[in-house]
Amino acid sequence: MVALFAAALLGNSVVAAEHAKPAAKAGQSVDAHAGHNHGKLGPAGEPTELKKFGYAYLTAYMFCLSLCLGALFIVILNHLFDAQWMVPIRRFLEHIACQLFPTMFILWLPIGFLAKYIYPWWEIDPHLDHALHAKAILFNPTAFWVVSCVLFLVWGFIAHGLRRASLAQDKDGAASHTRTMRRYAAGGIFLFAFSLTGAAIYWMKSLQHQFFSTMYGVVYFAGSVWLTAITTYWLLLYFKNRGDLKDVAREVTFHDCGKLFFAFTVFYAYIHFSQYFLIWNAAVPEETFWYVLREEGSWKWVGQLTIFGHFWFPFLFLLPIHRKLNFQVMSMMAGWAWLCHYMDLQFNIGPVLYPDGLHLGIYDLLSLGGMLAVLIFMFSRAFNAHPPYPQRDPRVAETFGVYVEPASSKAAH
Amino acid sequence: MNAYGLMAVFDTPADAMHAAEQVRDAGYSKWDVHTPFPVHGMDAAMGIPNSKVGWFTFLGGATGYTSGMIMIWWMNAYDYKIIIGGKPMFSPFFSFPVSYELTILLASFGSLIGMFLLNRLPRLHHPLLKNRKFCSGATHDKFILVIETADPKFNADETRKLLASAGSKHIELVED
Repeated sequence: MVALFAAALLGNSVVAAEHAKPAAKAGQSVDAHAGHNHGKLGPAGEPTELKKFGYAYLTAYMFCLSLCLGALFIVILNHLFDAQWMVPIRRFLEHIACQLFPTMFILWLPIGFLAKYIYPWWEIDPHLDHALHAKAILFNPTAFWVVSCVLFLVWGFIAHGLRRASLAQDKDGAASHTRTMRRYAAGGIFLFAFSLTGAAIYWMKSLQHQFFSTMYGVVYFAGSVWLTAITTYWLLLYFKNRGDLKDVAREVTFHDCGKLFFAFTVFYAYIHFSQYFLIWNAAVPEETFWYVLREEGSWKWVGQLTIFGHFWFPFLFLLPIHRKLNFQVMSMMAGWAWLCHYMDLQFNIGPVLYPDGLHLGIYDLLSLGGMLAVLIFMFSRAFNAHPPYPQRDPRVAETFGVYVEPASSKAAH
Repeated sequence: MNAYGLMAVFDTPADAMHAAEQVRDAGYSKWDVHTPFPVHGMDAAMGIPNSKVGWFTFLGGATGYTSGMIMIWWMNAYDYKIIIGGKPMFSPFFSFPVSYELTILLASFGSLIGMFLLNRLPRLHHPLLKNRKFCSGATHDKFILVIETADPKFNADETRKLLASAGSKHIELVED
């Protein structure tokens, strides 16, 4: 029923897409924007290998970026809420967040250089496309490069600022470092919100530049932290078993990580549903065409995976407390969440190139595998070079489960 | 005189917790610990399993969600059809916000009702409330463990010995 209704709207979206036609006639990048207009491959037929690689690489990149940005967010959260339970997980998350610069920047460069094959708007003349003309101030090659570089500088500034103070505190234990980290976190949360939205819009949403959604950045954010929360759980378990965190990783720490994952399971569903719900209700062609395309072919099933696999299954399954404390169950859940988030990104990126359905190939495997290998290598190097958790954080005693009476109350006795 | 139970007073949360562990291990079932503030780890020390209230919450929520969906379907798509904006007569999307609110409303009712039922509330009086020592202690600075005489394992002498060995300085029989 919904599909029928949506199909009726497709009629309008085809009209809206008429703007793009003259460009096609001019012979510029015919297959570049054929996909999102008519749900079929353009006259060029099969997309070029470079283009296939570009999309696979972009999907893998956005997946890894999710982990890095999610880690940065949880570190910021730790300082904003002065949270005691996050102290054991903070150090390895600081290292993951620091991958944003320079590692993730270098890994981003192929996207920058392949941009004209990946982003259809790159080669469309703004004077012939009204949607692009309206957004031309953002969607032009210069702005794309400048903004992208600024994003990495912002992330590098926050992530390295936080880790530098944290590592310095390991040495001297001064409380001033905690205050420094709080300042980075307080300012950083705003920079983070804007920069993450910028990344989601520039690198992912702009694949279909006609699309509008004010929720888009938040959806990517919610999915990212969701993925990072369960990855954190798994890493905590891994480092506990390896011995690095065996003193600080207590049952309550795992429970709290599980609760964070659970909270973001609900939050992601809430945010993504809100986006869908508003677009569905408003029924504006510039917005509906995005979901209409994603109800074609096997993309419909990828969407169902997001509803049932990304939300309903973890939600109902993790309601009882004991499952959040079951290491085997949660390790499997980590794998499941990786699959669901990756498919969610495919759902965002893939239909532009493959309107007929999901395509997974060797490029996807190689991109994701290669990128993860680089990140794991860089991460292990950083993790092994420093103490595994903040050694002299003011709250580290509480992390051990020990109560230390504050000096002020001792003086009062 | 009908006795309600044996009451043991402790001075610190740690003492009360260790006493609770001993009472738990001795196999008593009808007993409770009263403290002026929540003591972390007391549930484990008392051997209390997870609360069943969650099931009432879940049932309430599930009822709210389904009744919301059915209500909207019945009103808009069955009983009195109205076309709004060319949309389908029924869709889970526009029905969701209302069903969701009903989920929360009935889930909270479920929690409240479940809590009342499981605690056997409302209850107008409790034998412990007659006891001066209990009232002034449990709400101020004492940690009080009470074993009911109704407990199948209850034995006036044995139970008193157990509580004394757990370190209580004041043990008394509470009237019903």
